[in-house]
Amino acid sequence: MSAREHKLKVGVAGVRGVVGEFLTPGLAAALAQAFGTYVGDGRVVLGRDTRPSGEMILHAVRCGLLAAGCEVVDVGILPTPTIQVYIAATGARGGIAVTASHNPPEYNALKFFNARGLFCNAYERSEIIDLWHQSAFRHASNAEMRRIGHEAEAPKRIHFDRVLAHVDVDRIRARRFRVALDAVNGAGSLLSVEFLRDRLGCELQAIAVDPTKPFPRVAEPRPDTLGDLAALVRDRSCDIGFAQDPDGDRLAVCDETGRVLDNDDVLALAVDAALSRLPGDVVVNLTTSAAIDDIAARHNRKVYRTPVGEANVVERMQAAKAVIGGEGANGGIIFPAVQYCRDSYNGMAFLLDLMASTGLKVTGLAARMPQYHRRSGNVRYQHGRLATLLQAVEAAFPDAAQDRADGLKLTWPQGWIHVRSSNTEPILRFTVESESEAEADSVFRRVQELAA
Amino acid sequence: MAARALRISHVGLRGVVGNGLTAAHAMDFALAFGTFLDSPGRVVIGRDPRASGRMMREAVVSALLSSGHSVLDLGVVSTPVIQHAMRRMSASGGISIGASHNSEEWNALKFFGRDASYLSTGEATELLDIYHLRKFHYAPYDQLGKLSSDTTATDAYLDELAGAFDFDRLRRFRVVVDCCNGTSALLLKRLNERHGFRLVLINAAVDGGQFAHEPSTNARTVGLQLAPLIEPLGADAGFLFDVDSDRVAIATERGQAVSEELVLPLVAEHCLPLSPGRIVITNLSTTALVDEVAARHGGTVVRAAVGRQAAIDALSAFRPGQVSIAGEGTGAIMFSRFPYIYDGIVSMLTILESMAAREQPLSHLLDGFPKYSMLKGELPLETTRVPELLMSLQADFTGGRVDTTDGLRIDWPDRWFHVRVAQTEPVVRVICEQRGEPPQALFDSLMDRVRSLA
Repeated sequence: MSAREHKLKVGVAGVRGVVGEFLTPGLAAALAQAFGTYVGDGRVVLGRDTRPSGEMILHAVRCGLLAAGCEVVDVGILPTPTIQVYIAATGARGGIAVTASHNPPEYNALKFFNARGLFCNAYERSEIIDLWHQSAFRHASNAEMRRIGHEAEAPKRIHFDRVLAHVDVDRIRARRFRVALDAVNGAGSLLSVEFLRDRLGCELQAIAVDPTKPFPRVAEPRPDTLGDLAALVRDRSCDIGFAQDPDGDRLAVCDETGRVLDNDDVLALAVDAALSRLPGDVVVNLTTSAAIDDIAARHNRKVYRTPVGEANVVERMQAAKAVIGGEGANGGIIFPAVQYCRDSYNGMAFLLDLMASTGLKVTGLAARMPQYHRRSGNVRYQHGRLATLLQAVEAAFPDAAQDRADGLKLTWPQGWIHVRSSNTEPILRFTVESESEAEADSVFRRVQELAA
Repeated sequence: MAARALRISHVGLRGVVGNGLTAAHAMDFALAFGTFLDSPGRVVIGRDPRASGRMMREAVVSALLSSGHSVLDLGVVSTPVIQHAMRRMSASGGISIGASHNSEEWNALKFFGRDASYLSTGEATELLDIYHLRKFHYAPYDQLGKLSSDTTATDAYLDELAGAFDFDRLRRFRVVVDCCNGTSALLLKRLNERHGFRLVLINAAVDGGQFAHEPSTNARTVGLQLAPLIEPLGADAGFLFDVDSDRVAIATERGQAVSEELVLPLVAEHCLPLSPGRIVITNLSTTALVDEVAARHGGTVVRAAVGRQAAIDALSAFRPGQVSIAGEGTGAIMFSRFPYIYDGIVSMLTILESMAAREQPLSHLLDGFPKYSMLKGELPLETTRVPELLMSLQADFTGGRVDTTDGLRIDWPDRWFHVRVAQTEPVVRVICEQRGEPPQALFDSLMDRVRSLA
């Protein structure tokens, strides 16, 4: 399959590729110049995560932005949500994050944000990509050339202040929680230590918080990649463990026994925390657990569902004026009172606040959540086979309710199946959920057979 | 708005930023250079203060890191400072970002290879081929270069000069310098602070804004602001540098703007008796006064085609010890003490050294030269008519020594002319010079001959 491996992808969130032959500095500069041409000659915020190609790509992006006549505000190594908050807070024209988020270290990517600090939507993205394809760049003259400014402290302060405005900081600090942290040597390395130890008074046990070192584990924080964190939690008797991805938008949580929580359960806890404090509805994607519906029902709120993708969730959240949203499986919590973006800092603050307010341990909090059984898998398919696969699944479960907003979702009273194609690769992803573990297993096996 | 301009040649990349020269050109050319050099290497970069240099610098940094080279950024420094730094740290390459004597809207990339020397024609051809083919070397993600910066390169350079010149004798001179808002301002401020010189600097704001005037090193620009200040300030001399400080123009203590043609003879007069090398390299359009000065000290003049590249190739034909100085009528001079580095600052110090050694004011040193008069003109001509023009001139102007290295030059005792095609436009340049009064009749007849073909 290597011949068809997608080493460069111009797609949903921006442009992503393997650094070297695929994502080149020339490409990064041209895309940045297209972005600068699109947003106009004002200030553009620029930051990056810690992957080894970050410095090289950052300079290419600075080049493209200056060439388009933009003023560059370089915020250095920062988590993506911190960059997004800072864009929105300072009235910049937009921003670019140089990060491939949870992807392996050989990848890098440009993520484009508009003036409100949101991921550029489909229309904005296509305008930028059109400008790039046409090489229809603005070329600033010497007299129009602007400067590169630097801002290191303000983005962090603004972000933390916004997050902490929505939890009881004194109550958290009084508990002096013993917290384990695995920041994957990513953009959150320094910030998360400051956030947990200095701002929230936690007794911190941290690993992988050196932004100059390579990623010590798989970048995506999943149960099977967080063995070191789990061991740390157990060895040091921590109350909770947190793991981030390299750009600090995703969060994984480990309970006091060293078990990594399912990301859907983390989202459910955060939704519970948010709905307890503020009015408003909930938006999640189609692959997120039905636990969210149950929690929303407890608070008498509505749940809206969208296709997978942060931009889709955020767009619906804005329309519905939702109080919280997210994408369960991806470990993303979106809390717009801080910013419309996936934010691991919101997640950490909410969980510590829940522990402080209830006096419960993480296992106790998780036990209060509705219990569902989920199974996920994926299979590579040949181009052209997608419709056949979806039809086979549909035919196998004739009594289920159908939703075709993103692939195929089949729902029945005690469970559901969601089958969809990845946005970036010819991979069919499927998730099954049921109240009954036996049903979850049997349905999952059935879908596997159909997709094989 | 300047006319659209982009020029890609052996000398590098040059153009009007935003109107011909784009970020992509700078990026690709720097990638070609990163591919041209053996990887991984260490590349020293610096820039002049033009605002567009910020963008060009980002392109150069990302391209070099991407091709696996570590980058040492010296910031806003003169081109000679980059070359000295390269030599100190045995760098494998260097890039100077700046458009030298061109006006603000221009920028350029100049490339240096081993020994901090300009690329030879062979190397430059290879670089151009890589650029055009666009098959660049990209290092894998975990073998990319690292960027570091060094803000002490100017001080280290001045310390090297302090070892080569007797600063105790030179710092007593009262000197006014027109920095043209270029890199010389930063450098000479440090010369005052660190080495106790008393240089009065004008047009010394280095903020990437508009230049106070065109940064050309010639008698006309010296006459604009610098020359009128000399006598009121009681200065011993005035110097004017282009933006990257590799060229110099001068004014005497009487406030006279000196012809740029006299800088090379002035320096040769001082350097030839002191250096072991006996050769002076210059181009075919430079004054014959150089030959007279060289002959006085037992030296010989080697004349190359006009242009920096021809001078570099001429230089490489000799061992460094054989050459005393190399230079042009533009005030760009290379000294045997610092091979391959054209340096206006060293030219200034050499002229001051000459004044100190002879205990004479600058005007007296110049008065010691016999009078030569030069006339220059240019006319448009279709390039296809040029061979016909040169053939007929060679047939009709007889009795002289003929040189066809670059157009046609014919020398008679005390008189010569040089007719050549400009490198950048379909224009014929006519230069004649005569010992004594201007060779007006010769000049007029040459211009008429060109006109008759146009």
